Order: sequence, then structure tokens, then C-alpha cells
Amino acid sequence: MKYFILTVLFIILPPVIAWGQDWVVPEERKGRLSTFPFTDETRQSGEKLYLTNCISCHGNPGKGNYINLVPSPGDPATEKIQRNSDGEIFYKLSVGRGQMPSFRNVLTGDEIWHVVSYLRSFNKNYVQKVMQIITSSAYPGAVIMMTVGFNEADSTVIVRASAVDEQKTVPVTGAEVRLFARRYFGMMVIDEEKTTSESGTAVFKIPAGLPGDKEGNIHFSAKFADEDLFGIVSKDTTLMAGEITVPVSLLAERSMWNNVRKAPIWVILTYTIGVIGVWGFIFLIMMKLRDIYIIGSFIQGKKSSEAI
Amino acid sequence: MAKEKQEKSNEKPDLDKVVEESRRDFIRRLSIAGAVSVTGAAALYSGHSFEKAKHSKGMVRVLTEDNRLVEIPADQIKDLKPDIKALKARGKEGLQGKRWVMVIDLSRCRNARKCVEACQSAHHLRPYEYHINTLVMKESVNTPEYFMPKPCQHCDNPPCVSVCPVDATYKRQDGIVLIDNERCIGCRFCMAACPYSARMFHWQEPSQAENDKEKVYDVELNVPQKKGTISKCLFSADRIREGLLPYCVSACPNGVFYFGDENEDAVTNGTTKETVMLSELLQKNAGYRLQVELGTNPRVYYLPPKNRLFEFERGPEKEYREETI
Amino acid sequence: MNEIRFSSPKEQGKLDSVASDVLRNVRISKAFIIWIGFLFLALAACLYAYIIQLKEGLGVTGLRDYTSWGMYIANFVFFVATSLVGMLISSVLGLIGYNWVKPISRIAEIIAIAFAAVAGLVIISDMGRPDRFPFLFRFGRIQSPILWDVTVVTTYLVLSLLLWYFPLIPDLAISKNRLHGRPSFLIKVYELLSLRWEHHESQYRILKQAMRILLILIIPTAFAIHTVTSWLFAVTPRTGWDSTIFGPYFLSGAFVSGTAAVIIAMYFFRVNYKLEKYLTPFHFEKMGRVLILVSIVYIYFNLNEFLVPGYKLKTGDAIHLRELFTGHYAMLFWGVQLVGLVIPVILLLIKQMRRPMPMMIISVFVLAASWLKRYIIVVPGQGHPNLPIQNVPVEWVVYKPTLIETAVTIASILLVLIIITILSKLFPVIPIWEIAEDDHDKEKLSGNE
Repeated sequence: MKYFILTVLFIILPPVIAWGQDWVVPEERKGRLSTFPFTDETRQSGEKLYLTNCISCHGNPGKGNYINLVPSPGDPATEKIQRNSDGEIFYKLSVGRGQMPSFRNVLTGDEIWHVVSYLRSFNKNYVQKVMQIITSSAYPGAVIMMTVGFNEADSTVIVRASAVDEQKTVPVTGAEVRLFARRYFGMMVIDEEKTTSESGTAVFKIPAGLPGDKEGNIHFSAKFADEDLFGIVSKDTTLMAGEITVPVSLLAERSMWNNVRKAPIWVILTYTIGVIGVWGFIFLIMMKLRDIYIIGSFIQGKKSSEAI
Repeated sequence: MAKEKQEKSNEKPDLDKVVEESRRDFIRRLSIAGAVSVTGAAALYSGHSFEKAKHSKGMVRVLTEDNRLVEIPADQIKDLKPDIKALKARGKEGLQGKRWVMVIDLSRCRNARKCVEACQSAHHLRPYEYHINTLVMKESVNTPEYFMPKPCQHCDNPPCVSVCPVDATYKRQDGIVLIDNERCIGCRFCMAACPYSARMFHWQEPSQAENDKEKVYDVELNVPQKKGTISKCLFSADRIREGLLPYCVSACPNGVFYFGDENEDAVTNGTTKETVMLSELLQKNAGYRLQVELGTNPRVYYLPPKNRLFEFERGPEKEYREETI
Repeated sequence: MNEIRFSSPKEQGKLDSVASDVLRNVRISKAFIIWIGFLFLALAACLYAYIIQLKEGLGVTGLRDYTSWGMYIANFVFFVATSLVGMLISSVLGLIGYNWVKPISRIAEIIAIAFAAVAGLVIISDMGRPDRFPFLFRFGRIQSPILWDVTVVTTYLVLSLLLWYFPLIPDLAISKNRLHGRPSFLIKVYELLSLRWEHHESQYRILKQAMRILLILIIPTAFAIHTVTSWLFAVTPRTGWDSTIFGPYFLSGAFVSGTAAVIIAMYFFRVNYKLEKYLTPFHFEKMGRVLILVSIVYIYFNLNEFLVPGYKLKTGDAIHLRELFTGHYAMLFWGVQLVGLVIPVILLLIKQMRRPMPMMIISVFVLAASWLKRYIIVVPGQGHPNLPIQNVPVEWVVYKPTLIETAVTIASILLVLIIITILSKLFPVIPIWEIAEDDHDKEKLSGNE
């Protein structure tokens, strides 16, 4: 149902916003900076992510080959988009609007920054400012940490958030946390958004039968929903929380549609026996032609010797 | 494995230990963060000027196979053709451990036909040559009309593959039914056998045959297309391999398509990029498959056109003209 | 020269008269040259159409994505069907002990060879990539009915050739010394193919033994060839083809078209080759009865094929049957069923109609209807797939054969005529020794009484 409402919003909102004005980013988000410097590595990673997630609408940056939608997706290499601050771009990628998807469900915070770093490589005048440390307005001076564990007994994943500074570690309470499982094409939301308890924990119910890999491992990622209060903190962990899934090749069994080597035995037998049988007889009959010829030769030979 | 078990049974102390470790790690990081920001800015600037200098000397930046960006002198570039045998082999093999599945939400389709266009441009087809087609459906007199995108159903019991005399069309371990148009003899038995009319034939020279002449044939893209052979939807096998959603799925502006791996019980919406549980999606929306009575076992699921987001509007009838043969 | 099996002067005289009657036609006459010249010329003209198709692709035909099998496949099915008569006449009737089939059996075999041989070529003309035909042997998938079809058509062709050739050996030996004034290459061919036949008892023994094996072997092969051809359709989950009785339905239909073809050929040889003595009204009368029998069996299968789905009217079947009974194909459908099947049976029940001339005319109708019947089996069902035909050019919706594919189809028919002409003009069309032997046995029997 949640997806449904979200989608309804996505689809109803665009015209409304399109009539309106520019895409306004909340003031407090505009100034956000990446915590790491953009390097070739981040740009490459960003490019890869861009090719996966963005190119279908925005085209190749600088080429202007974006698709025609209302509102227009635009070419990210243009001045119009590049004059956004890092924080604004990050916000727009994360939250989305109208037909622009919300990528915070798909990419991790770092990954979104990688995309920003790739987009910035098309701006010659760009000089990056790096945020020095991860800050949290709720726990000033402390760094927020998360741990993620699996409780097999009731099939839950427990996320524990703590604020750490040099003196002490305190649980982060009342923070909204979301948990994702990594799937082939993106991050899947597990359970719903949870608020951390007094002890700083949030408990997520793993849906029954959620498939893991051959050992039942699932790659989880926990994130704070309110990144302003708690900073951009995410924790990636692999846990044995899933159903053990041993993939069986669809080609395992013999069938009519499988390749020749996997043909049903009865087809192979019937065909082979039939062909060998009939052609065996044909061969026999051909041999009889030879017999006729030999007999004829013999008689003719006798006749001619008699004539002599 | 043993360690993981331990973590579960003895969770709390372990969590504390992790926190302890991260704190030490944090303090280490804190001390270098300042240095990084300064050196980072410096490196960025110098890197920028360095690149400028290099470009002027006839150097070219190239992305290597393992995704490293390197620079080499422009005069040392040699054009390499991708190995056709390798392309064929991987096209035959498929992705291990995967079972691709598509879900089409009919309640969201408004016949934008962006899926069709994206597909036709990727596979070099004419406007009336389809790997995916959006149809106007009406089951019976009193039931409403609705739009239905129809790709190849990639059946698990594919009648088309059963009848192919030369193994030109085949099913892979990951469920995709592909075509090798360098093997196809053009007998069209597969077309006759397909109850979904999902296949097309190149009755004339494919539209971009001239441009594609030099291209190495990629069986996962089926480009270049060839006259006198079959073509059809491939679930964009070439894109999936790179972790990308199929062309049609990511081109849809209305969130109609989901695509994913049945083994992971997850499908990702091409428009919203949201990933949801396949089983739940099908259960909650009463997902169904086309013509199950035929026993073809399609890998494409449909969600019924209930609570539609759009009024059904036929739009202007488009006339398709065949290019002269 | 004396043929040792016929020792008495009377028997020898009988043989001489049969041989001279039959061999009178074995010569390269002016008429033959004009006729074969015409055939080759027409063939060349039609093959030009095929060259256009090779160059431009199958788009020059009326075939498109929805109706992707049309005239070529219908023609292929017709050819395979007609070729089955070789088995029916020589084998089934022969093995039952009907001696009257002897003068007809070689005509039936010639028809079988011609149609089976050209059927293989027809299927190639339908291929989008005929250059890849050898792939069938290199990469053949044992699960595909096409592979089975290629196998059985080849086998059937070889068996038919053997069945034509074996009884011809003694005839070649009898004839080779009687071909004065014929081109020397022909005499050489006779000499070569007669395999030093000396009319020796042991040679006859081997010959008869081989014939018996062949006659038995060809029955399952012939059943296989047409059943497999029907499976090309029946194994698909398509409306109109998705039928369990397609095998026997096709098989019974095959006997109808084959019998009609043989009757036409009989009439032609009787009149043109002056073989009234051998292809008598008696033989026509018998063949008329055969045609009635096979037609009734075929009507019975038609009843099954249409009544059962027509009773239930499942969605797809209802549309399909409406198209046939009252829709786009109604004229064709009722024409074929009535003019090509029901009316001929009724007419043939009248004794006067079983005389050569009326029989031939009826057979022409039956044969033409047989061809159209294959068209009705192949084409209409594809026009109504399970999912609607939309967003395509109008030409794609209803299949209309083009001039080019008609020309290519005519080419295949010309090719059949060429093969029949060559085989019947250069070799004895009536088995000489078998006829003589038959009379010889009859005389023996009457002598004993």
C-alpha cells in the first residue's frame, strides 16, 4: 500500500510542481558537503552508477541527449544544473521529484556522493569543499555509529545506534532507522521505518522466506532517515538472516525444449532406433542389388565361355 | 559461519565490542580528516592542471576492462574487435544462479509506448517491428478496455524452443529465451508455435543493416539484425549482465515495469527504482500470467488493471506504413 | 533373345506384344521435346521469381509476422500428401493381393517420387536463409518435428525410388534389346541399370524378396512422413492446429489427393500413350471405388475435426470456425468440402461416373480441392492469434499471396511434371514382366481347371 501511495504521489505531483517554479531545496540541506574528497575513483564509481540509474532519462552528460519529459530532465553538464550546490544536487538525487526517482532507497549515501562527484567532473570551474567530520546536531561532538545483528530466534535484525565521543558511548534514541537488503538491481526496504528505543535499538522483522545466498547470507544496509539530526550514517553488514537458496539451473532436467544433449530419452531412443532400423533394411536391400548383379555376371560369364 | 552463529546467540556483548572497535577507528580517522581535506584540495587542483597538460600532448583517456581510467598516447590506440566467440559463449551460458522475472502493472499503463520506442531504438527495429508491443485488450463485452505491454513471456516450457530444428533459439539457465541469428535458418516454426505472437521475422533488410555491417554480432542484443532470421524480446540480456534494468523497464515513465531475480524474491521498478518483494507484490495485487492453461509457464507476471491511475484513453489511431520492399 | 521364364512361344509372344506396346512410348519424340522444352522454359521464368525472393527476402511474399506460414507450407503439405499414394497402391492394395494394381503401381511410384522429391525443395523455398539448409544436419535438434520430417521425407524418397527401380530391372533387361533407333545414351543407361539381369530364377527370388521387404517397410515410413508433417502443426498450441487427430486426418486426406492424382495420370497415359489395353475401364472402375472409400474416410475425419470443437465453441475455436463457416474463408471452405469431397463421392457412387473420362474430370476437382484444403488448414488459424493483432501495417492483418510466391509455387508443380515426364517417357510406364507374368499365371490357372 505504501508503494501505491508513493506512486500516486509521484504521478499526481509532477504537473502540480511543473506549473510551479524551480525545485526548492530546504535551506538547511543546501550546504551539505561530501565527507570525502572527489577522486578519480569516486568519479568512476559515480559514472558507473550514472550509467545504471540516470542515463535512460538524462542521457550522456554534455551531449544533451536527455529524453523529452515534462518537466524536462535536462543535461546534468549544463550550467542550469551545475549551479546547484553539492548539497542541492545530493538532496535532489536522494529525494527525487515527480518522475525523478528517489535514490535514497536505491543507493547508499556514499554512492550518491559518487554520482555528484561524477557530475562535477563536467564542470571546469568546480572546486570541491569537503566536510571535515561527520557531525550530528543531536549529539554534538560525537560520531554516530551503528551495529547490525541478527536474532535467529524471532527472525529479526537488530540495529543499534550509539553516539561515540572520546569519553563515552551513549545510545541514540528516537532516531528513525531504515533497513535495506541488497538485491541485484537495488536496495529493498525491509519491514518499515523504525524508531530506536531507549537502548538505541530498532528491531526489523525479516519477511518469511526472504532468500539469501547459498549460505543464507544477505547483505544488509541500515540508514538513518533523518540525516540532518544524525548525520549520514549507514552500516553495511552481511548476515545469515535469509533462507538458504541453492539456485537450480533451469536446464537441469531433460525436456523437449532443452538442448540436444538434454533431449528426453524416449525421443532419442525412438528416433535412433527408427532411423537405424529402416536404414539398416535399406542397406540390406541395396546389397541385394549387388547380389543380382553378381549372379547376372556369373551367368553371362558362363554363357560366353559356352559360346567359345 | 561459526562466528556468525556466535554473534546471534551472544548478541549484546558482541555489539558492544563492535562499538568499541569503531570508536578506536573513529579517533584514528579524526586525526587524518583535517589532513585529507587540505591535501585533497591540493591534489584536485594539481590533478586538474596535470590533466590539461597531458591532453595537449596527444594523450587519450581510456576506460580499461577492469574499469580503470588510464591514459595512453593517442598514436598507440589499436581498434580491437570484441571476440565473437566469447560473446556467443556468454550469451549461451547466461548468468549463474539467476532466474529473471518481469512484473507488469497494468493499472499504471497509459500507453505511452516509451517501452516500445526504447526497445526499438536499442535493437534497431522499425516502428512496426516489435519485441514489445502495447496492446489494447478487452476480455469480454462488459469488461473494460485496458492497455497491456506484451514482451516475450520467456516461458519455462517454451513451445518455440521445443520446435527449433537447429538450436538457434534456446533457453538459458537464467530463464531467458535467446536467438542466435547466425544460426537461424528462417523456417519460422517458432513463430507458428508461439501462442503470444511474441516473435518477429526480418522479411526485408533490417532498417539499420547498412550501419551495422561492421558491428560484431552480440547475441544478447541481437544486433546487427539479419534479414531472413527471427528476432524477439531478449529481456535485454546485455543490460542485465551489467546490472542495468532492461531498456523497456527503465524507459517507462509510469512505473509499469518491475524486473528482478526470482531467486532473490525481489523486483525493481524501472521508474521509481524501488525494489520490492516479488512474492508480496504478486500476492497483494493478485498477479497472474497469460494463458496459463497452455502450460507454457511464462516468466512475465501481470498485475490486474484495478484502481487505475489513468482514465483509459485510446488516443489518436496511428497508421503504420510498411516500408517498400 | 529369349527370356527364360517364358519358355513357350505363346508366352514369349505375349511378352513381345506387351513390350512393344509399352516401349512404343519410350522415345524422344518431337512432342516430348516441345513439352519438356515448354516445362523448362516456364520453370526458368518461375525460378526468376525465386531469385527475386532470394535477393529481397521473404518480404516479397504476402507472408508477415502473424501469418508467417502460407502458400509454400500449404503446397509442401499437399506434395507430401500426394506422394503417399505410392504406398497406398503398391503396398496396401498390393499386399492384400489385388493383382489389378500391377499396371498402375509404377504410375503411383512415379507420382510418389516426383512429389516427395520436390516437397523437400518446397520447404527450402520457404526458408528465410536457404543457404543455411546444411545446418539441419550439422546442428539438428532431435526434438524438432522438422528434423523428423527431413529424416522421413528422405527415407520415403529413397524407398519410393527403390520400389520403382526393383520391378524395373527385369523390364530394363527385356527392353534394352528392343530399343532400336533410340538414342544410344538411353540404351547405355538401360544396360547399366539392368544390372546384368538374366531372368534367372535366383535373380527373381532375390528381387521378390527385396520387394516384399520394401512393400512392408514403406508402410510405416509413409505413415511417419505424413503424421510428422501433421505434427508440424499439431505440436503447437495454436487454435485450429491444436488437434489430436491431425495425424490420421492428414493421412486420410493424403490418400484422397494421391488417388485423384493417380487417376489423372492413368487417364493421361491411357489416352496419350495408347495404353487402353492395360489401363482399362476396369482399372478406372476399381480406382473409383478406392477414391470413394478414402474420401468417405476423409469426410469422417473432417466431421470429427470440425464437429467436436464446433460443439464446445471454445473462444479461439469459435472465432476460427466462424471464419471458416461464414467468414472470410467461407467460400473456399465450403467449395473445398462440397465440390472437392462430398459431391465427388455422390457422383462416383453412380456407375457411369466411374468410367475413365468422368473419373478424370472428377479427379481434377478433387485434386485442386486437395490443394486448397491444405491452404485452409495452414492459413486461417494464424489470422486469429490468441492476442490481438495491433499497431502493424494493414497488409499484415490478412494474408494475401503475391505473384512471386504463386510463381515459385507453380515452379514446384512444373518440377513435379518434369520428373514425371522424364521417368514416364524414358522408362516403361507399365511393368512389362509383371503384366506378362500375371497373364502367364492366369493362363496356367485356367489350364489346370
